Amino acid sequence: MALLVVPACLLVLALLIGPMILMFRISLNQFSPTQLMVQALSPDNYIKAATDPYYQQIILATLGIALLCTLLTLILAFPAAYWLGRMESRWKSLVVIATLFPLLVGNVVRSAGWMALFARDGLVNTVLMKLGVVSAPLEIMYTTKAVIIGIIAVVLPYMILTLSAVIESIPRDLEYAAANLGASGARVFWRVILPLSGPGVAAGSILVFVLCMNTYATAVLLGGPRFKMMAPAVYDQFVRGNNWPMGAALAFMLLAVTMAFTVFGSVAFARRYRTG
Amino acid sequence: MLFRFTGQSSLGQFAVRTLIVTAYAVIFAPVVMIVVTSFFAQEIVSFPPPGLSLKWYANALSKPEFLRGLMTSFQVALLATAIGVPLGTAAALAIVRGEFRGRGALSSFLLAPLAVPGVVAGSGLYMFYVLAEDLLDRDIKATTEGLVAAHVLLAIPWTVRLVVASLQGLDRAAEEAAANLGASPFTVFRRITLPMMRSGIVAAAMFSFIQSFENLDLSMLLVGPGRITLPVAMLNYLEFRIDPTLAAVATVQITLVGILMVVTDRFVKLSRVV
Repeated sequence: MALLVVPACLLVLALLIGPMILMFRISLNQFSPTQLMVQALSPDNYIKAATDPYYQQIILATLGIALLCTLLTLILAFPAAYWLGRMESRWKSLVVIATLFPLLVGNVVRSAGWMALFARDGLVNTVLMKLGVVSAPLEIMYTTKAVIIGIIAVVLPYMILTLSAVIESIPRDLEYAAANLGASGARVFWRVILPLSGPGVAAGSILVFVLCMNTYATAVLLGGPRFKMMAPAVYDQFVRGNNWPMGAALAFMLLAVTMAFTVFGSVAFARRYRTG
Repeated sequence: MLFRFTGQSSLGQFAVRTLIVTAYAVIFAPVVMIVVTSFFAQEIVSFPPPGLSLKWYANALSKPEFLRGLMTSFQVALLATAIGVPLGTAAALAIVRGEFRGRGALSSFLLAPLAVPGVVAGSGLYMFYVLAEDLLDRDIKATTEGLVAAHVLLAIPWTVRLVVASLQGLDRAAEEAAANLGASPFTVFRRITLPMMRSGIVAAAMFSFIQSFENLDLSMLLVGPGRITLPVAMLNYLEFRIDPTLAAVATVQITLVGILMVVTDRFVKLSRVV
Protein backbone atom coordinates (compact mmCIF):
# COMPACT_ATOMS: atom_id res chain seq x y z
CA MET A 1 0.00 0.00 0.00
CA ALA A 2 2.74 2.40 0.99
CA LEU A 3 4.34 1.93 -2.43
CA LEU A 4 1.42 3.76 -4.04
CA VAL A 5 2.63 7.11 -2.71
CA VAL A 6 6.12 6.69 -4.14
CA PRO A 7 5.59 7.93 -7.73
CA ALA A 8 3.76 11.10 -6.64
CA CYS A 9 6.35 11.79 -3.94
CA LEU A 10 9.24 11.31 -6.34
CA LEU A 11 7.68 13.79 -8.76
CA VAL A 12 7.17 16.42 -6.07
CA LEU A 13 10.70 15.79 -4.85
CA ALA A 14 12.21 16.12 -8.33
CA LEU A 15 10.08 19.00 -9.62
CA LEU A 16 9.56 21.08 -6.51
CA ILE A 17 11.92 20.29 -3.64
CA GLY A 18 14.96 19.78 -5.89
CA PRO A 19 14.47 23.05 -7.78
CA MET A 20 13.86 24.91 -4.50
CA ILE A 21 17.16 23.64 -3.07
CA LEU A 22 18.88 24.52 -6.34
CA MET A 23 17.32 27.98 -6.18
CA PHE A 24 18.56 28.55 -2.63
CA ARG A 25 22.08 27.50 -3.66
CA ILE A 26 22.01 29.82 -6.67
CA SER A 27 20.82 32.70 -4.51
CA LEU A 28 24.18 32.50 -2.72
CA ASN A 29 26.11 32.92 -5.97
CA GLN A 30 27.13 36.27 -7.39
CA PHE A 31 26.26 38.08 -10.55
CA SER A 32 28.72 39.61 -12.97
CA PRO A 33 27.50 41.43 -16.09
CA THR A 34 30.10 39.66 -18.24
CA GLN A 35 30.10 36.12 -16.85
CA LEU A 36 26.49 36.24 -15.62
CA MET A 37 26.81 33.80 -12.70
CA VAL A 38 29.90 33.45 -10.52
CA GLN A 39 30.10 30.61 -8.01
CA ALA A 40 30.20 31.94 -4.46
CA LEU A 41 28.79 31.32 -1.02
CA SER A 42 27.70 34.68 0.24
CA PRO A 43 24.52 36.31 1.53
CA ASP A 44 25.22 39.41 -0.59
CA ASN A 45 22.02 39.16 -2.64
CA TYR A 46 19.87 39.04 0.47
CA ILE A 47 21.74 41.97 1.98
CA LYS A 48 21.31 43.90 -1.23
CA ALA A 49 17.58 43.14 -1.34
CA ALA A 50 17.22 44.39 2.23
CA THR A 51 19.36 47.53 1.91
CA ASP A 52 19.28 48.73 -1.71
CA PRO A 53 16.54 51.40 -2.00
CA TYR A 54 15.33 49.91 -5.31
CA TYR A 55 14.55 46.50 -3.80
CA GLN A 56 13.51 47.96 -0.46
CA GLN A 57 10.86 49.97 -2.20
CA ILE A 58 9.55 46.92 -4.09
CA ILE A 59 9.37 44.84 -0.90
CA LEU A 60 7.68 47.59 1.09
CA ALA A 61 5.20 48.35 -1.69
CA THR A 62 4.33 44.65 -1.96
CA LEU A 63 3.81 44.30 1.79
CA GLY A 64 1.79 47.52 1.96
CA ILE A 65 -0.48 46.60 -0.94
CA ALA A 66 -0.95 43.06 0.38
CA LEU A 67 -1.89 44.38 3.83
CA LEU A 68 -4.30 47.00 2.49
CA CYS A 69 -5.94 44.56 0.08
CA THR A 70 -6.36 41.94 2.82
CA LEU A 71 -8.05 44.45 5.10
CA LEU A 72 -10.37 45.80 2.40
CA THR A 73 -11.19 42.27 1.25
CA LEU A 74 -12.08 41.23 4.78
CA ILE A 75 -14.49 44.16 5.18
CA LEU A 76 -16.04 43.61 1.76
CA ALA A 77 -16.27 39.83 2.10
CA PHE A 78 -17.78 39.54 5.56
CA PRO A 79 -21.39 40.52 4.78
CA ALA A 80 -21.38 38.39 1.62
CA ALA A 81 -19.92 35.44 3.53
CA TYR A 82 -22.54 35.83 6.24
CA TRP A 83 -25.29 35.97 3.63
CA LEU A 84 -23.92 32.85 1.94
CA GLY A 85 -23.21 30.99 5.19
CA ARG A 86 -26.73 31.54 6.50
CA MET A 87 -28.46 30.93 3.18
CA GLU A 88 -30.94 28.08 3.23
CA SER A 89 -32.53 28.34 -0.18
CA ARG A 90 -31.99 25.85 -2.96
CA TRP A 91 -29.98 28.51 -4.76
CA LYS A 92 -27.18 28.19 -2.25
CA SER A 93 -25.11 25.70 -4.24
CA LEU A 94 -25.57 27.87 -7.30
CA VAL A 95 -24.22 30.91 -5.43
CA VAL A 96 -21.23 28.86 -4.21
CA ILE A 97 -20.46 27.76 -7.76
CA ALA A 98 -20.90 31.30 -9.04
CA THR A 99 -18.44 32.52 -6.39
CA LEU A 100 -15.99 29.81 -7.40
CA PHE A 101 -16.34 30.36 -11.14
CA PRO A 102 -14.35 33.64 -11.50
CA LEU A 103 -11.54 31.99 -9.51
CA LEU A 104 -11.19 29.30 -12.14
CA VAL A 105 -11.33 31.70 -15.06
CA GLY A 106 -7.82 32.92 -14.39
CA ASN A 107 -6.19 36.22 -13.49
CA VAL A 108 -5.20 37.22 -17.02
CA VAL A 109 -8.81 37.16 -18.22
CA ARG A 110 -10.03 39.12 -15.23
CA SER A 111 -7.29 41.72 -15.57
CA ALA A 112 -8.29 42.11 -19.21
CA GLY A 113 -11.85 42.80 -18.04
CA TRP A 114 -10.62 45.54 -15.72
CA MET A 115 -8.56 47.01 -18.55
CA ALA A 116 -11.75 47.38 -20.62
CA LEU A 117 -13.54 48.91 -17.63
CA PHE A 118 -10.76 51.31 -16.67
CA ALA A 119 -9.70 52.51 -20.15
CA ARG A 120 -9.98 56.23 -20.99
CA ASP A 121 -13.20 55.56 -22.93
CA GLY A 122 -14.06 52.54 -20.77
CA LEU A 123 -17.33 51.94 -18.99
CA VAL A 124 -16.28 53.54 -15.70
CA ASN A 125 -15.22 56.82 -17.30
CA THR A 126 -18.24 56.90 -19.63
CA VAL A 127 -20.67 56.44 -16.76
CA LEU A 128 -18.90 58.99 -14.55
CA MET A 129 -18.90 61.57 -17.37
CA LYS A 130 -22.58 60.94 -18.25
CA LEU A 131 -23.51 61.38 -14.61
CA GLY A 132 -21.50 64.57 -14.51
CA VAL A 133 -19.30 63.32 -11.67
CA VAL A 134 -16.15 64.18 -13.61
CA SER A 135 -15.65 66.52 -16.55
CA ALA A 136 -12.61 64.80 -18.05
CA PRO A 137 -11.87 61.05 -18.12
CA LEU A 138 -10.00 59.83 -15.04
CA GLU A 139 -6.67 58.11 -15.49
CA ILE A 140 -7.38 54.85 -13.69
CA MET A 141 -5.21 52.46 -15.67
CA TYR A 142 -1.62 52.09 -14.55
CA THR A 143 -2.27 53.42 -11.06
CA THR A 144 -1.98 51.74 -7.68
CA LYS A 145 -5.76 52.15 -7.34
CA ALA A 146 -6.36 49.97 -10.39
CA VAL A 147 -4.01 47.28 -9.07
CA ILE A 148 -5.69 47.28 -5.65
CA ILE A 149 -9.17 46.90 -7.15
CA GLY A 150 -7.89 44.16 -9.47
CA ILE A 151 -6.27 42.24 -6.62
CA ILE A 152 -9.34 42.53 -4.38
CA ALA A 153 -11.47 41.06 -7.19
CA VAL A 154 -9.07 38.14 -7.45
CA VAL A 155 -8.96 37.29 -3.75
CA LEU A 156 -12.56 38.08 -2.71
CA PRO A 157 -13.95 34.63 -3.63
CA TYR A 158 -11.30 32.90 -1.48
CA MET A 159 -12.21 35.08 1.50
CA ILE A 160 -15.97 34.67 1.01
CA LEU A 161 -15.76 30.88 0.71
CA THR A 162 -13.42 30.53 3.71
CA LEU A 163 -15.48 32.82 5.95
CA SER A 164 -18.85 31.40 4.96
CA ALA A 165 -17.74 27.86 5.82
CA VAL A 166 -16.92 29.02 9.37
CA ILE A 167 -20.01 31.19 9.75
CA GLU A 168 -22.16 28.25 8.66
CA SER A 169 -20.87 26.25 11.61
CA ILE A 170 -21.82 28.90 14.19
CA PRO A 171 -25.13 27.80 15.73
CA ARG A 172 -27.84 30.26 14.89
CA ASP A 173 -29.38 29.83 18.32
CA LEU A 174 -26.54 31.90 19.75
CA GLU A 175 -27.63 34.86 17.64
CA TYR A 176 -31.28 34.39 18.56
CA ALA A 177 -30.40 34.08 22.23
CA ALA A 178 -28.39 37.28 22.17
CA ALA A 179 -31.18 39.09 20.33
CA ASN A 180 -33.78 37.76 22.75
CA LEU A 181 -31.77 39.13 25.61
CA GLY A 182 -31.98 42.53 23.98
CA ALA A 183 -28.77 42.84 21.99
CA SER A 184 -29.02 45.05 18.92
CA GLY A 185 -27.99 43.81 15.49
CA ALA A 186 -24.65 45.59 15.73
CA ARG A 187 -24.06 44.17 19.20
CA VAL A 188 -24.84 40.63 18.04
CA PHE A 189 -22.33 41.11 15.26
CA TRP A 190 -19.53 42.47 17.47
CA ARG A 191 -20.09 40.26 20.49
CA VAL A 192 -21.25 36.96 18.96
CA ILE A 193 -20.69 36.54 15.22
CA LEU A 194 -17.30 38.20 14.84
CA PRO A 195 -15.58 36.52 17.82
CA LEU A 196 -16.88 33.11 16.76
CA SER A 197 -15.72 33.61 13.18
CA GLY A 198 -12.20 34.31 14.47
CA PRO A 199 -10.61 31.19 12.98
CA GLY A 200 -12.22 31.89 9.61
CA VAL A 201 -11.07 35.50 9.67
CA ALA A 202 -7.53 34.38 10.50
CA ALA A 203 -7.40 31.57 7.94
CA GLY A 204 -8.97 33.70 5.21
CA SER A 205 -6.72 36.68 5.92
CA ILE A 206 -3.55 34.59 5.84
CA LEU A 207 -4.56 32.91 2.60
CA VAL A 208 -5.51 36.21 1.00
CA PHE A 209 -2.40 38.04 2.24
CA VAL A 210 -0.18 35.36 0.73
CA LEU A 211 -2.06 35.49 -2.57
CA CYS A 212 -1.75 39.29 -2.65
CA MET A 213 1.99 39.11 -2.00
CA ASN A 214 2.39 36.83 -5.01
CA THR A 215 0.27 38.82 -7.46
CA TYR A 216 1.72 38.79 -10.95
CA ALA A 217 -0.75 39.28 -13.82
CA THR A 218 -2.85 41.91 -12.05
CA ALA A 219 0.22 43.97 -11.13
CA VAL A 220 1.75 43.80 -14.61
CA LEU A 221 -1.43 44.48 -16.59
CA LEU A 222 -3.17 47.05 -14.39
CA GLY A 223 -0.06 48.65 -12.90
CA GLY A 224 1.88 48.99 -16.11
CA PRO A 225 5.56 48.45 -16.75
CA ARG A 226 6.81 50.85 -14.09
CA PHE A 227 4.68 49.46 -11.28
CA LYS A 228 6.74 47.00 -9.25
CA MET A 229 5.76 44.23 -6.92
CA MET A 230 7.78 41.20 -5.82
CA ALA A 231 6.56 38.60 -8.33
CA PRO A 232 7.11 40.79 -11.41
CA ALA A 233 10.52 41.79 -9.99
CA VAL A 234 11.51 38.11 -9.74
CA TYR A 235 10.40 37.51 -13.32
CA ASP A 236 12.35 40.57 -14.54
CA GLN A 237 15.56 39.35 -12.92
CA PHE A 238 15.41 36.17 -14.97
CA VAL A 239 14.09 37.49 -18.25
CA ARG A 240 15.41 41.04 -18.56
CA GLY A 241 18.40 41.10 -16.24
CA ASN A 242 19.52 37.49 -16.73
CA ASN A 243 20.57 37.82 -13.09
CA TRP A 244 19.87 34.37 -11.67
CA PRO A 245 21.41 34.90 -8.21
CA MET A 246 19.35 38.03 -7.49
CA GLY A 247 16.20 36.49 -9.00
CA ALA A 248 16.71 33.39 -6.88
CA ALA A 249 17.24 35.46 -3.73
CA LEU A 250 14.07 37.50 -4.30
CA ALA A 251 12.10 34.35 -5.11
CA PHE A 252 13.42 32.69 -1.97
CA MET A 253 12.37 35.67 0.14
CA LEU A 254 8.88 35.46 -1.36
CA LEU A 255 8.82 31.75 -0.59
CA ALA A 256 10.00 32.28 2.99
CA VAL A 257 7.29 34.87 3.73
CA THR A 258 4.61 32.70 2.11
CA MET A 259 5.69 29.59 3.99
CA ALA A 260 6.02 31.41 7.31
CA PHE A 261 2.44 32.70 7.06
CA THR A 262 1.02 29.41 5.79
CA VAL A 263 2.70 27.30 8.47
CA PHE A 264 1.87 29.82 11.20
CA GLY A 265 -1.73 29.83 10.03
CA SER A 266 -2.15 26.08 9.95
CA VAL A 267 -0.39 25.50 13.27
CA ALA A 268 -1.98 28.35 15.21
CA PHE A 269 -5.54 28.13 13.97
CA ALA A 270 -6.39 24.88 12.22
CA ARG A 271 -5.17 22.82 15.18
CA ARG A 272 -6.98 24.79 17.79
CA TYR A 273 -10.32 25.12 16.07
CA ARG A 274 -10.33 22.32 13.52
CA THR A 275 -12.18 24.50 11.07
CA GLY A 276 -9.76 26.43 8.87
CA MET B 1 -30.01 36.69 11.06
CA LEU B 2 -27.84 39.68 10.63
CA PHE B 3 -30.40 41.20 8.29
CA ARG B 4 -33.20 40.75 10.72
CA PHE B 5 -31.19 42.24 13.55
CA THR B 6 -29.83 45.12 11.58
CA GLY B 7 -33.39 45.61 10.38
CA GLN B 8 -33.82 47.54 13.61
CA SER B 9 -31.71 50.23 12.01
CA SER B 10 -32.39 50.58 8.33
CA LEU B 11 -29.03 52.29 7.89
CA GLY B 12 -27.13 49.21 9.06
CA GLN B 13 -29.24 47.01 6.85
CA PHE B 14 -28.60 49.26 3.89
CA ALA B 15 -24.84 49.22 4.54
CA VAL B 16 -24.77 45.43 4.80
CA ARG B 17 -26.76 45.00 1.57
CA THR B 18 -24.57 47.53 -0.24
CA LEU B 19 -21.44 45.65 0.78
CA ILE B 20 -22.85 42.33 -0.46
CA VAL B 21 -23.85 43.82 -3.81
CA THR B 22 -20.48 45.57 -4.12
CA ALA B 23 -18.56 42.38 -3.35
CA TYR B 24 -20.33 40.40 -6.05
CA ALA B 25 -20.16 43.32 -8.49
CA VAL B 26 -16.38 43.46 -8.03
CA ILE B 27 -16.13 39.69 -8.52
CA PHE B 28 -18.24 39.56 -11.67
CA ALA B 29 -17.63 42.93 -13.33
CA PRO B 30 -14.38 41.99 -15.10
CA VAL B 31 -15.71 38.64 -16.34
CA VAL B 32 -18.95 40.12 -17.65
CA MET B 33 -17.11 43.08 -19.14
CA ILE B 34 -14.70 40.97 -21.17
CA VAL B 35 -17.54 38.87 -22.59
CA VAL B 36 -19.49 42.00 -23.57
CA THR B 37 -16.40 43.60 -25.13
CA SER B 38 -15.88 40.62 -27.43
CA PHE B 39 -19.11 41.56 -29.27
CA PHE B 40 -18.22 45.22 -29.87
CA ALA B 41 -18.20 46.18 -33.53
CA GLN B 42 -15.31 48.66 -33.40
CA GLU B 43 -11.75 47.77 -32.63
CA ILE B 44 -11.03 50.43 -30.03
CA VAL B 45 -12.82 49.70 -26.79
CA SER B 46 -15.09 52.66 -26.04
CA PHE B 47 -18.59 53.21 -24.73
CA PRO B 48 -21.26 53.06 -25.86
CA PRO B 49 -20.35 50.70 -28.72
CA PRO B 50 -21.62 51.77 -32.17
CA GLY B 51 -22.73 48.25 -32.97
CA LEU B 52 -22.28 44.58 -32.25
CA SER B 53 -20.40 41.96 -34.20
CA LEU B 54 -19.10 38.42 -34.11
CA LYS B 55 -16.18 39.08 -36.43
CA TRP B 56 -13.58 39.17 -33.63
CA TYR B 57 -14.05 35.47 -32.98
CA ALA B 58 -13.02 34.72 -36.57
CA ASN B 59 -10.20 37.23 -36.22
CA ALA B 60 -8.97 35.57 -33.01
CA LEU B 61 -8.85 32.18 -34.70
CA SER B 62 -6.85 33.65 -37.59
CA LYS B 63 -4.14 34.80 -35.18
CA PRO B 64 -1.58 31.99 -34.94
CA GLU B 65 -0.43 32.94 -31.42
CA PHE B 66 -3.92 32.42 -30.01
CA LEU B 67 -4.80 29.33 -32.00
CA ARG B 68 -1.48 27.70 -31.17
CA GLY B 69 -1.73 28.88 -27.56
CA LEU B 70 -5.15 27.29 -27.28
CA MET B 71 -3.85 24.00 -28.71
CA THR B 72 -0.75 24.01 -26.49
CA SER B 73 -2.74 24.78 -23.34
CA PHE B 74 -5.29 22.12 -24.18
CA GLN B 75 -2.63 19.50 -24.86
CA VAL B 76 -0.61 20.34 -21.75
CA ALA B 77 -3.69 20.42 -19.50
CA LEU B 78 -4.93 17.09 -20.86
CA LEU B 79 -1.57 15.34 -20.43
CA ALA B 80 -0.90 16.83 -16.99
CA THR B 81 -4.35 15.69 -15.86
CA ALA B 82 -3.88 12.22 -17.36
CA ILE B 83 -0.59 11.79 -15.50
CA GLY B 84 -1.25 13.69 -12.28
CA VAL B 85 -4.71 12.40 -11.40
CA PRO B 86 -3.82 8.65 -11.38
CA LEU B 87 -0.63 9.34 -9.41
CA GLY B 88 -2.47 11.57 -6.97
CA THR B 89 -5.30 9.06 -6.62
CA ALA B 90 -2.88 6.23 -5.85
CA ALA B 91 -1.18 8.39 -3.25
CA ALA B 92 -4.51 9.42 -1.72
CA LEU B 93 -5.56 5.78 -1.46
CA ALA B 94 -2.35 4.89 0.34
CA ILE B 95 -2.66 7.87 2.67
CA VAL B 96 -6.22 7.08 3.73
CA ARG B 97 -6.13 3.26 3.65
CA GLY B 98 -2.50 2.48 4.35
CA GLU B 99 -1.29 1.44 7.77
CA PHE B 100 2.17 2.92 7.90
CA ARG B 101 3.66 5.79 9.86
CA GLY B 102 4.04 9.35 8.67
CA ARG B 103 0.89 9.44 6.55
CA GLY B 104 -0.01 12.91 7.79
CA ALA B 105 3.42 14.22 6.89
CA LEU B 106 3.20 12.60 3.46
CA SER B 107 -0.12 14.26 2.81
CA SER B 108 1.31 17.68 3.74
CA PHE B 109 4.29 16.97 1.52
CA LEU B 110 2.08 16.19 -1.48
CA LEU B 111 0.00 19.32 -0.84
CA ALA B 112 3.13 21.49 -0.69
CA PRO B 113 3.02 22.51 -4.38
CA LEU B 114 -0.19 24.43 -3.60
CA ALA B 115 1.58 26.44 -0.91
CA VAL B 116 4.56 27.45 -3.05
CA PRO B 117 3.89 30.62 -5.09
CA GLY B 118 3.67 29.91 -8.82
CA VAL B 119 6.33 32.47 -9.73
CA VAL B 120 8.74 30.91 -7.23
CA ALA B 121 8.14 27.32 -8.34
CA GLY B 122 8.39 28.48 -11.96
CA SER B 123 11.73 30.24 -11.31
CA GLY B 124 13.14 27.12 -9.67
CA LEU B 125 12.01 24.90 -12.52
CA TYR B 126 13.35 27.37 -15.07
CA MET B 127 16.88 27.21 -13.62
CA PHE B 128 16.58 23.45 -13.14
CA TYR B 129 15.53 22.98 -16.78
CA VAL B 130 18.27 25.22 -18.20
CA LEU B 131 20.99 23.49 -16.16
CA ALA B 132 19.59 20.05 -17.06
CA GLU B 133 19.58 21.04 -20.73
CA ASP B 134 23.32 21.75 -20.56
CA LEU B 135 23.89 18.44 -18.84
CA LEU B 136 21.67 16.29 -21.05
CA ASP B 137 22.20 18.26 -24.25
CA ARG B 138 18.52 18.34 -25.14
CA ASP B 139 15.68 20.86 -24.95
CA ILE B 140 13.45 20.81 -21.88
CA LYS B 141 12.38 24.42 -21.56
CA ALA B 142 9.75 25.38 -24.15
CA THR B 143 8.86 21.74 -24.81
CA THR B 144 5.51 20.08 -24.18
CA GLU B 145 7.21 17.60 -21.84
CA GLY B 146 8.71 20.40 -19.76
CA LEU B 147 5.38 22.17 -19.43
CA VAL B 148 3.49 18.95 -18.67
CA ALA B 149 6.00 18.04 -15.94
CA ALA B 150 5.48 21.44 -14.33
CA HIS B 151 1.69 21.19 -14.54
CA VAL B 152 1.67 17.70 -13.00
CA LEU B 153 2.76 19.64 -9.91
CA LEU B 154 -0.65 21.33 -9.97
CA ALA B 155 -2.61 18.12 -10.60
CA ILE B 156 -1.05 16.05 -7.80
CA PRO B 157 -1.96 18.27 -4.82
CA TRP B 158 -5.47 18.99 -6.08
CA THR B 159 -6.08 15.27 -6.61
CA VAL B 160 -4.67 14.31 -3.23
CA ARG B 161 -6.78 16.95 -1.51
CA LEU B 162 -10.05 16.05 -3.27
CA VAL B 163 -9.67 12.25 -3.35
CA VAL B 164 -8.54 12.07 0.29
CA ALA B 165 -11.64 14.08 1.21
CA SER B 166 -13.89 11.75 -0.76
CA LEU B 167 -12.27 8.61 0.69
CA GLN B 168 -12.46 9.76 4.28
CA GLY B 169 -16.23 9.88 4.19
CA LEU B 170 -16.57 6.32 2.89
CA ASP B 171 -18.18 3.49 4.78
CA ARG B 172 -16.02 0.40 4.48
CA ALA B 173 -18.87 -2.05 5.13
CA ALA B 174 -19.55 -2.65 1.43
CA GLU B 175 -15.90 -3.51 0.78
CA GLU B 176 -15.77 -5.86 3.76
CA ALA B 177 -18.98 -7.53 2.63
CA ALA B 178 -17.62 -8.08 -0.87
CA ALA B 179 -14.40 -9.54 0.51
CA ASN B 180 -16.35 -11.80 2.86
CA LEU B 181 -18.37 -13.08 -0.07
CA GLY B 182 -15.17 -14.15 -1.77
CA ALA B 183 -14.26 -11.24 -4.05
CA SER B 184 -10.53 -10.90 -4.65
CA PRO B 185 -8.87 -7.67 -3.42
CA PHE B 186 -8.61 -6.48 -7.01
CA THR B 187 -12.31 -7.13 -7.66
CA VAL B 188 -13.21 -5.32 -4.44
CA PHE B 189 -11.15 -2.35 -5.58
CA ARG B 190 -12.52 -2.33 -9.13
CA ARG B 191 -16.17 -2.99 -8.30
CA ILE B 192 -16.58 -1.23 -4.96
CA THR B 193 -13.78 1.17 -3.97
CA LEU B 194 -13.18 2.79 -7.34
CA PRO B 195 -16.87 3.58 -8.01
CA MET B 196 -17.13 5.07 -4.52
CA MET B 197 -14.12 7.30 -5.24
CA ARG B 198 -15.61 8.45 -8.51
CA SER B 199 -16.86 11.84 -7.34
CA GLY B 200 -13.47 12.74 -5.87
CA ILE B 201 -11.65 11.66 -9.01
CA VAL B 202 -14.00 13.53 -11.34
CA ALA B 203 -13.63 16.71 -9.29
CA ALA B 204 -9.86 16.22 -9.18
CA ALA B 205 -9.71 15.86 -12.97
CA MET B 206 -11.71 19.03 -13.47
CA PHE B 207 -9.64 21.09 -11.04
CA SER B 208 -6.38 19.73 -12.45
CA PHE B 209 -7.41 20.50 -16.01
CA ILE B 210 -8.63 24.02 -15.25
CA GLN B 211 -5.70 24.88 -12.97
CA SER B 212 -3.33 23.83 -15.72
CA PHE B 213 -5.29 25.48 -18.51
CA GLU B 214 -5.46 28.91 -16.87
CA ASN B 215 -2.03 28.80 -15.26
CA LEU B 216 0.23 31.75 -15.88
CA ASP B 217 2.61 32.12 -12.93
CA LEU B 218 4.19 28.67 -13.07
CA SER B 219 4.38 28.49 -16.87
CA MET B 220 5.59 31.90 -17.97
CA LEU B 221 9.30 31.19 -17.55
CA LEU B 222 8.95 27.72 -19.08
CA VAL B 223 7.43 28.72 -22.43
CA GLY B 224 9.37 29.63 -25.55
CA PRO B 225 9.00 30.21 -29.26
CA GLY B 226 6.41 27.82 -30.68
CA ARG B 227 5.40 26.55 -27.24
CA ILE B 228 3.39 29.30 -25.64
CA THR B 229 0.36 28.56 -23.48
CA LEU B 230 -2.84 30.56 -23.96
CA PRO B 231 -2.59 32.65 -20.75
CA VAL B 232 0.99 33.66 -21.63
CA ALA B 233 -0.07 34.53 -25.19
CA MET B 234 -2.91 36.67 -23.81
CA LEU B 235 -0.61 38.39 -21.33
CA ASN B 236 1.92 39.24 -24.05
CA TYR B 237 -0.84 40.68 -26.24
CA LEU B 238 -2.37 42.66 -23.36
CA GLU B 239 0.89 44.41 -22.58
CA PHE B 240 0.27 46.40 -25.77
CA ARG B 241 -3.49 46.69 -26.10
CA ILE B 242 -6.92 45.50 -25.02
CA ASP B 243 -9.25 44.93 -27.97
CA PRO B 244 -12.29 42.80 -28.88
CA THR B 245 -10.06 40.11 -30.45
CA LEU B 246 -8.39 39.45 -27.11
CA ALA B 247 -11.81 39.65 -25.45
CA ALA B 248 -13.05 36.96 -27.85
CA VAL B 249 -10.16 34.67 -26.89
CA ALA B 250 -10.83 35.32 -23.21
CA THR B 251 -14.51 34.56 -23.75
CA VAL B 252 -13.59 31.21 -25.32
CA GLN B 253 -11.61 30.40 -22.17
CA ILE B 254 -14.46 31.54 -19.90
CA THR B 255 -16.91 29.36 -21.87
CA LEU B 256 -14.64 26.34 -21.67
CA VAL B 257 -14.24 26.69 -17.89
CA GLY B 258 -17.99 27.21 -17.54
CA ILE B 259 -18.84 24.09 -19.55
CA LEU B 260 -16.34 22.01 -17.55
CA MET B 261 -17.86 23.21 -14.28
CA VAL B 262 -21.43 22.47 -15.40
CA VAL B 263 -20.48 19.00 -16.67
CA THR B 264 -18.55 18.23 -13.48
CA ASP B 265 -21.40 19.47 -11.33
CA ARG B 266 -23.62 16.77 -12.84
CA PHE B 267 -21.31 14.13 -11.35
CA VAL B 268 -20.24 15.86 -8.16
CA LYS B 269 -21.91 18.62 -6.21
CA LEU B 270 -19.17 21.20 -6.63
CA SER B 271 -20.57 23.28 -3.79
CA ARG B 272 -19.86 20.34 -1.48
CA VAL B 273 -16.36 19.78 -2.81
CA VAL B 274 -14.93 23.22 -2.13
